[in-house]
Amino acid sequence: MLLTALIILFSFLLNFFLPWWSIALPGLVFGYFFKPKAFAAFGWGFLALFLLWGAQALYIHFANDGILSTRIAEMLQVGSPLLVVLITGVIGGLVSALATLTGALFANKPQRRRSFS
Amino acid sequence: MHLIKSGLSLLLLLVLIVVLNTKIGSIPPLGKFFDPDAGFWANAETTAPESEELNLEGTRDKVSVFYDERRVPHIFAENDYDLYYTQGYITAKDRLFQMEVQTYDASGRLAEIIGPDLLERDLETRRLGMPYGADKALEAMKNDPEAMSLVQAYANGVNAYISSLSADEYPIEYKILDFKPEEWTPLKTAHLLKAMTKTLAGRNDDMRMSNTLKYFGEDFVETFFNISPKLTDPIIPATRVWDFKAIPVQKPDSLFVPTSTQDLGEFERPEGIGSNNWAVSGSKTESGFPILANDPHLSLTLPSIWYEVQLHAPGINTYGVSLQGVPGVIIGFNEHVAWGVTNVASDVMDWYEVKFKDSSKREYWHDGKWKPTTTRIEEIKIRGQETLLDTVFYTHHGPVTEKYSRVNPESEPSYYALRWIAHEPSTDVNTFYGLNRAKNYDDYVEALSHYVAPAQNFVFASNEGDIALWVNGKFPNKWKYQGRTVSDGTDPLYDWQGWIPHEHNPHVKNPKRGFVSSANQPSVAPSYPYYMGDDYAPFERGRRINDRLREMENITAQDMQHLQLDNYSYHAATILPEMLGWIDRDGLSESELEKLKLVEEWNYFNDAEKLAPSIFRVWWSKLYDNILDDEFESTKASLRYPARDRLTEILKYDAGFEFIDDINTEKVETLNELVTTSFNQTLSTMRTVLGDGTEEWQWGYYAENDIDHLASIPGFGRERVFTGGGRESVNATRGGNGPSWRMIVELGPEVKGYGVYPGGASGNPGSPDYDSMVETWRTGGFFELKFMKEKPTNYLYKIEIN
Repeated sequence: MLLTALIILFSFLLNFFLPWWSIALPGLVFGYFFKPKAFAAFGWGFLALFLLWGAQALYIHFANDGILSTRIAEMLQVGSPLLVVLITGVIGGLVSALATLTGALFANKPQRRRSFS
Repeated sequence: MHLIKSGLSLLLLLVLIVVLNTKIGSIPPLGKFFDPDAGFWANAETTAPESEELNLEGTRDKVSVFYDERRVPHIFAENDYDLYYTQGYITAKDRLFQMEVQTYDASGRLAEIIGPDLLERDLETRRLGMPYGADKALEAMKNDPEAMSLVQAYANGVNAYISSLSADEYPIEYKILDFKPEEWTPLKTAHLLKAMTKTLAGRNDDMRMSNTLKYFGEDFVETFFNISPKLTDPIIPATRVWDFKAIPVQKPDSLFVPTSTQDLGEFERPEGIGSNNWAVSGSKTESGFPILANDPHLSLTLPSIWYEVQLHAPGINTYGVSLQGVPGVIIGFNEHVAWGVTNVASDVMDWYEVKFKDSSKREYWHDGKWKPTTTRIEEIKIRGQETLLDTVFYTHHGPVTEKYSRVNPESEPSYYALRWIAHEPSTDVNTFYGLNRAKNYDDYVEALSHYVAPAQNFVFASNEGDIALWVNGKFPNKWKYQGRTVSDGTDPLYDWQGWIPHEHNPHVKNPKRGFVSSANQPSVAPSYPYYMGDDYAPFERGRRINDRLREMENITAQDMQHLQLDNYSYHAATILPEMLGWIDRDGLSESELEKLKLVEEWNYFNDAEKLAPSIFRVWWSKLYDNILDDEFESTKASLRYPARDRLTEILKYDAGFEFIDDINTEKVETLNELVTTSFNQTLSTMRTVLGDGTEEWQWGYYAENDIDHLASIPGFGRERVFTGGGRESVNATRGGNGPSWRMIVELGPEVKGYGVYPGGASGNPGSPDYDSMVETWRTGGFFELKFMKEKPTNYLYKIEIN
């Protein structure tokens, strides 16, 4: 949980100043230091950015009365503006998941067990 | 093992990032695009805009921009430079993508941002000499310090805005198409003006007419194209006396026939690109002052082609609509005068068959000798591919295009040079500079004298009580019918031998009837001593406007609004009673008779909720096709089709007209049979396509009034806008074309303006102001225009520029 929280915090800050792919950096770093098991690394990493990007998108969706997300939903032919919010979370989540996994794998101690929940 | 695993994972991560950062086909780079901080989400307007102060260093004095509740900017500046600088800045702020993409298109550079799919379009743009024309216009501006200074001020303002942007602030279309804004230049303003010329004066029937003359003969051409329908009411009243002699032109003894029947591409302008304007004198209005109305009909898009603005500085206070990329107000008013425009369908685009000495195309035959061609190398950058170099050869007429015959595709290609008004040097911005500051009729005429193209019917009204209309632009002085067929490129008698002097342009001031008007119909009666063209809009809109204005007295601004929204179909009123007389009812079923009854009871108004306009429209077009298609499709050559109003008249007065017979059958068909068959086909087609008696039969849906996004991005337009009108109605809304700006100006001590366009001030699809006026436009409403004499105390928000 701490791992996820830290990724969220640092991704949020980095993404302010740096291009979108900077969201991979916290996953790499914290994955390395926290050394979770592969499956957990992927899961917690995914959750972090899914929550962050998803929440940001959801906030904008409501604050904008859904004007733009509705148009984007039509452009992408996905039907609902909420699906556009969901896709945003999934894209961020996937990048963060892979980054955290990579960090954890590089930590080179795959056998050691540690819980983060 | 472990290193392999982690290495693989890293590789996968990098691949994912690269893939999500790359545009694939038409799919935007997804990571970049969905990023809530800098992707499309950043374009969603989440708070109302707030007042701000900008330190731009580009302006000479302070400038204030006040936005009213519709977010129309009112610019208050202390000098001309600041005024146009700020106009550039705030126009870019609302409409940057539109400004850029329009000029990319006009300069043949779309492939550079979109990719190879747009290469054909770019090549055609280049071969028509669009960039060549813009270069010449820029040169003309450079020789005119005043024109250049306002275009440069405007460009500096646009660039100040562009350089203030970070990538997350780019308009959303840049993120979808994945490119960046580039520096704005005066050349781009020239491109934009040439784009207007292409839209409005990029039309000819030369090859189709040559083919038709050869295929159907002189009698056919005489009947269908030389004679105007009786109901035609020209723009300049037929009673106008011309007190000058035309400058003579030399005519060849016989008309040139091109060597083969070829096609030069489609230049037919869809009907719906046309417009209405009129002005009534104080003798006919309630207030005793003139009222002016204008609604230019163009292809309707989001963002709208127009951007509303007020410009205020010493010596100028004007309000109206502007074009993205052109300094000044194009259609509008000031405290003294109002003006508006409609298109003039004069023939200013001619093709010449060229005789080259050999395949090198270095020399061509003209006036009894071989003359050298010039070349222009067009460099076309293509996204994702190597740059293409295209050499275009020019004769003294213009750029040369190579064409293969449609009839004999195996034969040698022919070469055609294009002489086109868009190639003329021009400083049209001076006209708008002058109109924006005009105080009276003389100022208006002076401003018009600088105008080249696209030729427009400039309507005018002033506080002094004058009304006027000038058919205005630079018109070649032609012999009768010169250039309506393909011209002989070797014979100087086919060249444009000179120009109609500006003071000879058709015009009328304060006519007895108390009003002036135009709706793209023929400019003049046959008594006018110059030839200008033979392919104008049908008489219907123009006649309806004149009929109504003749009757009306004590006119108010509201009456003029009603007239702009008039859905009357002169076409239906002329031909439908005849069709109902010709149809054979005996063979019709119960349900067919029911539908026929709808049409019988119809009052000829193209109202949205009615079914009759849809049925009549399909019925007429089936009849038109059944009469003409058998003859017109008996050759592969493309031919010029008769105008709707002229065919209507022929049918009405000559029911035995020979084309009525279907040449593909042995039987000789009668008009009664064709009308009945057409009606049966109408109902069965409509049932199949729309379902029986569904709401799709309603004219408001059937007419398919879609307002598409400028770059046709799905979801960014407005589909199925349910509204009345028709191409032959004063309210010329139909199929994505129609009134792109409706304006009424009531002159007087306190000038009052009313207006609406189907769009909104903002070009951002993530803003509520992107399409906020569409509903008012659809339902026939108007907004009172906030014309401010001094800085307002009441406004939505403001921008102070230091």
